Order: sequence, then C-alpha cells, then structure tokens
Amino acid sequence: MSAPAPQDAPPLLAVDNLEVLYSRVILALKGVNLQVAKSGCTALLGPNGAGKSTTLKAISGMLSVEDGEVSSGGIQFAGDSVVDRDAQRMVASGVVHVVEGRKVLRHMTVEQNLVVGGHLRPSLTEVRRGLDQVYQTIPRLAALRTRTSGYLSGGEQQLMLIGRAMMANPRLLLIDEPSLGLAPMMIEEIFALLGHLRAKGMSLLIVEQNAQAALGLADHGYVLEGGRVVLEGTATQLKANEDIQEFYLGHQAGGERRNYREIKHYRRRKRWLG
Amino acid sequence: MMDFLNYAINGLLLGQVYALLALGFVVIYRASKVFNFAQGELMLLGAYTVWSLSLGANLPPWLAIPVAFVAALAYGWLIERLFFSRLVGESVFSMVMVTIGLVILIRGVVLVIWGAADRQFPALLPTMPVIVGEVILPTSMLIGAGITLALTLSLWYFFNRTRAGLALTAVAEDPCTAISLGIAVKRAVTLAWMLGACIATIGAVILLNGRSLNVLSADVALAALPVALLAGLESIGGLMLAGAIVGIIQSLVAAYIDPKLGGSASSIVPFVFMLFILVVRPTGLFGWRNIERV
Repeated sequence: MSAPAPQDAPPLLAVDNLEVLYSRVILALKGVNLQVAKSGCTALLGPNGAGKSTTLKAISGMLSVEDGEVSSGGIQFAGDSVVDRDAQRMVASGVVHVVEGRKVLRHMTVEQNLVVGGHLRPSLTEVRRGLDQVYQTIPRLAALRTRTSGYLSGGEQQLMLIGRAMMANPRLLLIDEPSLGLAPMMIEEIFALLGHLRAKGMSLLIVEQNAQAALGLADHGYVLEGGRVVLEGTATQLKANEDIQEFYLGHQAGGERRNYREIKHYRRRKRWLG
Repeated sequence: MMDFLNYAINGLLLGQVYALLALGFVVIYRASKVFNFAQGELMLLGAYTVWSLSLGANLPPWLAIPVAFVAALAYGWLIERLFFSRLVGESVFSMVMVTIGLVILIRGVVLVIWGAADRQFPALLPTMPVIVGEVILPTSMLIGAGITLALTLSLWYFFNRTRAGLALTAVAEDPCTAISLGIAVKRAVTLAWMLGACIATIGAVILLNGRSLNVLSADVALAALPVALLAGLESIGGLMLAGAIVGIIQSLVAAYIDPKLGGSASSIVPFVFMLFILVVRPTGLFGWRNIERV
C-alpha cells in the first residue's frame, strides 16, 4: 500500500499518522498519511464526511475554531514540526488555507479583501506589488476591484479567494472544493489558474469532489474514507483504477458511462482494504 | 423661531456626544458581535478615575486626562482578559449576559471605592457658553462635537483604509475567515475593548464637565443605544447622523412636549425611537444588511 514518495526530494508537507478529535470524543481522522512535494499538486478525494476538510484544517491550524485537536501524529512542513502552530503562525510560515464555502468578506470590496489577505506584508509598497501581481495573474479581478464582493458571481468569488490567498505569498496552498457549484467553464478557468500558480512554484493540496478536474491537475492523489486513507497513488494510477473510475469518474469497468437515472437504487459500496 | 433653533442646535450637539458614546458600542460590537450593555459603566470608571486624578491627586488637566486614558485602556484590557477571553467559543448570548453582569459589578466596585455620595466632576473644559447671535452653545458640547467628528473620521479611515484596520473589519465580518487569513482575532477583540473603554472616558470628560457625578451618571449611555442601532451596529460613519436625529428629536420633545405633559417624555423618546427602528429597519440606516444573491 505504501506508494513511494512523489519525488525523491524531501516533501514540502508530510502528514504522518494524523489523528484528530473533535470535542474530545469524535475521532474524525484515524491515522492519515499524506505528502505534498515541493511545487507538487496533491488531490484529496473522498465522499462527504471522510475527513478531507478536517485534514486541511489540521494542517492549517484551524481545528481549534471547531473545538478540534490533533490527538496524535505529526505534521511536518518544510522540515519543521507544525502540529501545534495556530493559524496565524501557519499563514506566516507560508501555508494558506482557502476554506470551504467560499468565505468572501461580503461587505468589503474586492480590493479590500485582497488587502486583508496581504495583511502580513511588511510594507504598503509590498501590498501594492502584491495587488499588481494578483491583477496581472487574474485580469478579471482588476475590473472588479471596487465591487462589493458579496455581489460577485460564484466563480468571481472563487477567483477572488485564490487572489486573496496569493496576497499572503503562500508556499503551500490548501484549497477546499474550489469547483463547488460552479459552471464547467468556470471550473476550467479555476483549475487553469491553479495550474498557473503551480507552474510558478506554489505547491497545492486540493480537496475536491470533482475528481476529473482534480486528477487532471494533480500529480498525486489520496482517497479518504471514514477518516483513513484507503487508496493512494499517482494521478495516472488513480485515473486507471477501476474503483476510482466507477465511484468518482462515472465510468463502468467496460469503459462506457453508466446512466444513473436508470439505476434508481445504486447501492453498491466498495469495502476498501484500508 | 429663535427658541426652536436654540433647542435644535443644542439637541444636535447632545446627539454628537451620544454618537461619541455609541462609537464605543460599535467598536466593541464590530470586533466580537457583543453588544456591551456596560458601556455606561466603562464611562463611570473613566469618570471616577478622572475625578480621582484631578481632584484627589491634584494633577493638572493636561496630565490628568492622558493618565485617565491610559487607565481606561488598562480597564478595557483587564475586562477582556478576565471575562471575555475565557468565553471564546461560547455563544454571543452568554457574552452579552456577562456585560449585564459587568453593569452590576462595576457599579458595585465604584460604590466600594468612591462611595455613593455625589461628587463634583472637575470642569476640565471651559464652562462659559459660546453665544452666536441669539443661539447659546455650551462650549464643552461644542468641543465634544468636534472630538466626535475627529474620532469618527479617524476611526472610519482606520477601519476602511489602513491594513491593520481592514484586518479588524475582516474580524467584524467573519471571525472564522479572519482566523484562516492569519489575523490575530483575540488581539483584535482585546484592542476593541481597550478602545471602547478609552472612548467611554472621553465621553465622560465631555458629558460630565462641571456637573455632579454619581453611580447613576452611567445611565446616559443608554441613550447612546438607540443611536448605535439607528446607525446600524457596524457603521462608524453613520453615527453622527444618527446622533443628530436622536439628539434633535429628544431636545425638541423636551422643549415643546414635556411642559404640556408635565412629565419627562423626552427621556423615553430615544427608546420609543429605538423600538420603532427595530421594527421598521433592524439593520439601521447604514448597518450591514445580509447580502442575498439570487
């Protein structure tokens, strides 16, 4: 089961046997191992409640907000153990988490959102430079800079969130369901943007339900279920995997697409050998 | 006609002092969504501190006032550390209940330390009125309105234009998102309480100038409640307009309706007005309305 590390170089992020408890009783993660290579892109797939978002929150130090804690295991980022760093220190060390649910600061303008994203930058000129960079990378935002972000379309909001994360100069971007509820064209644009950031050296850890899009960008993937990693491999391996094809990509073993409308009671579930 | 103008302008000035007190509410509300019912008691603490420093310790005003501001910052810090930092993660409702507890606690502390007797609050600002034509204006209130204007402008600039202020506005919008962006939310809340206590002390100096001071002086801050609600609890820029509306209405009612009723309708007017706002427009004039996208 233990696939080799994505690359030979030491990974940027290594999560080791991570267990997470909520409210001191609910075990949400039961020993998760995963790695993100330097300038790599890792996809985290899995059904609802598998622990994908919890994994991201554990890495970014956001667990305490929901009365969660890492009860055992380790998280190494750039060679340092970061298990007990809070969100503030994680952002300062270069890990930015775009949380699920498209959390724009609704009453603030696009530019204000971006400035808040860059609040750790040392000087105003640095903030200016960051803004220019964001507007250059995402030209669409430049036209929207004075608009109240709450009134943007879902796709524009998602672009702005990525821009806001860019303002913090992350080395590792954790992004939770960027494609949720967006039109296919928009999803393409978002993933193209993520690909562009990756090409510039940013490492990505993407949680997605849209396995097609995620595995298109990622070089490595993990499937989480019930708080455990049940499958991992390179993106090519995963795309070729029969179960992934059936559960996440909607193909049947033979290769033809299954029409779920005709099978009203689709109950088959895979028992993974975790 | 001249009377009317006199009443209206004095109401306007009184409203600006209400707006100043309401600034304290708004700053704390923005940071923690806690509606601080003890704002008047913070004012009381500040007022007694000023009294002790200038009449007890015989410090000159130019020294007594800054020292009192520093003390107020310390009160705000202490209250946040003692009570609210422990309630992180609890419901906002329980925090609001704590502010009601604070009302009782601070009044008790004031009674224990300074006693129940009326004190003469020092006249740190000139008491001679300014007379323009036939309009008589109390100087302290004029200065108060000026301070309100200056404070409103600088706080508005801070919260909307500077990086540190925008980070605090992000906390007001959504603490969870603010945390995910690496903003020190706890520090923001502490800062808000310090600022709130300091603003309350400024209010005390203006409002109580040369008047008598006792525990009941805190009640005036209740009149700032309708102002904060009318402006919309998140709005800093709207407070002066809201203060003007409430102040002028109260002053005119006091002048023209109170004598006819033989009672003090003017003291309940702000609250009747508050109920009206809550029914008609709960987000106030400039508050953040829920953005719904269809």
